[in-house]
Amino acid sequence: MENGDNEARDPSGFLTAIIGAPVTVKLNSGVVYKGELQSVDGYMNIALEQTKEYVDGRLHHTFGDAFIRGNNVMYISADS
Amino acid sequence: MSSPEGDAPSRPDEPLDLVRLCLDEIVFVKLRGDRQLSGRLHAYDSHCNLVLGDVTETIFVVDEEDDDDEVKAITRSHSEMLFVRGDSVVLISPKPQG
Amino acid sequence: MTSQLLPLELIDKCVGSKIWVIMKGDKEFSGTLLGFDDYVNMVLENVTEFDFEGGQTKLPKILLNGNNICMLVPGGEGPTGS
Repeated sequence: MENGDNEARDPSGFLTAIIGAPVTVKLNSGVVYKGELQSVDGYMNIALEQTKEYVDGRLHHTFGDAFIRGNNVMYISADS
Repeated sequence: MSSPEGDAPSRPDEPLDLVRLCLDEIVFVKLRGDRQLSGRLHAYDSHCNLVLGDVTETIFVVDEEDDDDEVKAITRSHSEMLFVRGDSVVLISPKPQG
Repeated sequence: MTSQLLPLELIDKCVGSKIWVIMKGDKEFSGTLLGFDDYVNMVLENVTEFDFEGGQTKLPKILLNGNNICMLVPGGEGPTGS
């Protein structure tokens, strides 16, 4: 983990850097998930904890854990 | 890369591990096309192909007859086993108890 | 002989500067390109997301899936800049 700031620059480095952090995941359908990032793999499959689902900006559903299939993902954003 | 414990031949934590933990449990599955399922997860693979049992399927449709954009939920149950092709899967979540 | 600039070399030249990303659907992003991989998945900073109703969302740092990218404009400030 030397030079952690530099590692967060390429996609895989960014993903390892934000494991455990609160993130926003937007799907191509426009549905948004917010939660704590448990893990990601090479397909951009995502596991989230304490997940909130937003449809048209409105809270629609909550999940304890959620697996999101990577092909639906448009972006993963690190909340701050 | 980092491998804190050193052993773990099958990577410590990847998203599909969450699905593995759901085996034989009741899961909620969100599919493309405003459909959702809940049922017992009997099997899955890396494509997210799923085998579910005792499934309740819910389809959300906009009623064409009414002018108000009311979304109607149609539910039906499948007591037999159901195979779900992975490419239609959006989300899988364990259901609290059953 | 090697005067040809490969597409990914062009993107590599954009690392550290502003880039405008036009998606296959009705969506665009602009932000500073921090890095990318062979699939053109991109890490962007200080991002503005534009939906086609004219809405704008600010995002501090994102990983954008390369799968739905249509076009990249180096130095682009997004649809409002031009």
